[in-house]
Amino acid sequence: MAKLEARGITKSFRGGGGYTLRALGGIDLSVEAGEFVCLVGPSGCGKSTFLRIVAGLDAPDSGEVVFDGRAVEGTGPERIMVFQEGALFPWLSVGDNVSFGLRVNGVPAAERAEISARYLEMMQLGQFARYHPHQLSTGMRQRVAIARALAMDPDVLLMDEPFAALDTQTRYTLIGDMQEIWQRTKKTILFVTHNVAESAALASRVVVFGNRPSRIRTEFRVDSPRPRHAEDGSLASIQSEILAALRPEVKRQEGLDG
Amino acid sequence: MDRRAAARRAAFYVAIVASWQAAASAGALPDGLLPSPWEVAEDIARGAADSSLIVGVATTLWRLMAGLAIAIGAGVALGVAMARVRAVNETVGSLVLGLQSIPSIAWVPVALIWFGVSDAGIVFVTAVGAVFAVTTSIYSSVRNIPPHYLEAARNMGARGGQLVTRVLLPAAFPHMISGFKQGWAFAWRGVVGAEMLFSFLGLGFLLNVGRHTVDISQVVAVLVVIMAMGMAVDAALFRRIEDRVRERWGLR
Repeated sequence: MAKLEARGITKSFRGGGGYTLRALGGIDLSVEAGEFVCLVGPSGCGKSTFLRIVAGLDAPDSGEVVFDGRAVEGTGPERIMVFQEGALFPWLSVGDNVSFGLRVNGVPAAERAEISARYLEMMQLGQFARYHPHQLSTGMRQRVAIARALAMDPDVLLMDEPFAALDTQTRYTLIGDMQEIWQRTKKTILFVTHNVAESAALASRVVVFGNRPSRIRTEFRVDSPRPRHAEDGSLASIQSEILAALRPEVKRQEGLDG
Repeated sequence: MDRRAAARRAAFYVAIVASWQAAASAGALPDGLLPSPWEVAEDIARGAADSSLIVGVATTLWRLMAGLAIAIGAGVALGVAMARVRAVNETVGSLVLGLQSIPSIAWVPVALIWFGVSDAGIVFVTAVGAVFAVTTSIYSSVRNIPPHYLEAARNMGARGGQLVTRVLLPAAFPHMISGFKQGWAFAWRGVVGAEMLFSFLGLGFLLNVGRHTVDISQVVAVLVVIMAMGMAVDAALFRRIEDRVRERWGLR
């Protein structure tokens, strides 16, 4: 049985002047436990919208999200989102940010401290627990956001372009770390990115979204050995395949937008 | 504030007082219409010595604080409810806007009928004069919270009261400070106005005494005291909280 399934998800947004934007035109996706799935597509294709629907932050117009065989509505601690800008709470220390979810769920203080320390350690931020988010670099903040999500021990990690705001060097480091975390924790990961090299390095499966109203256009398995690096020569052919699948979509969109 | 700014500010006030005193010494001030700073200082010293001014300050201050506390408590609750519950905003929200346009002095008849000539009446005028300004300011500070904070918190299981106390209020807090400041300013208007109309204590009452005895230096003395208190609280309280919060949040 699939860990997570999306069935016939559609979503429209009402734009100005009664104009309706059809973002998702029926997405079906099945994800097995322990898969690392990257969702790529032209910008504005609705892949982030899809991720938000899976997280339960937005409701679909039709279709359903099924987790472990049960249809789910709204957010749940088994599906935790990592936002593009981290969304760390600036009024809390790094340690308190990581243990926030445990705290609202009534986990006792000692256990909270232990769990938060463990995940900060895993993200190589052990000595920064008492810092405040603004005292850290963007890359470190994103690590804290990942630690905060892991501390909830979710079955599924939903990541919405978490590395988009990072410089290349930091991004490459995090691509390496993310693979290690995935292998260590055996989490199921849904990872949205518009960066093809990133998707090929991270994913066990790359799913390509088409243009609005978006459907899944095609998908690729990536079986290269890990750890992979974004610039690995062995990934070049899969990267160009993904790019080739994306190209007509990007072109079509440029034509539409232009 | 750095040292140069402080020096510049001090020089500014010294210059004002010095030229004011110079004009008075030269006999340029209309007699009985404008006191010299020396007369004002004497009046303040006299009021402090016979403790009438000290009692006045203390009385006004506690009425002000009581009214402000009520205004902030009710304003935060109302503002958060308006920002988070659409039905509340659509109904209570419009009423708040209407109520906000009533000057605090206009509540005096209501206070007199409800509470008579009492401290409770003055606190009522103070609170009601400030609460709607606080409410609208809290409302907009909650509406301006980055949505990701609330989404992340909800995703991690924060609901209801926890969402409000652990996320909503701290996230809105830097902006809420300006709401508190506004409440403070409106509370002053309310308390002094009400005291002038129906009280036998407090700074507003002292202003009234000055008026009835045609003692311009007492009137100016009370105005100076009110101004000084406003500036002192801003520097000692609001500015300090603001600096602290901005530092902690990394908003510098």
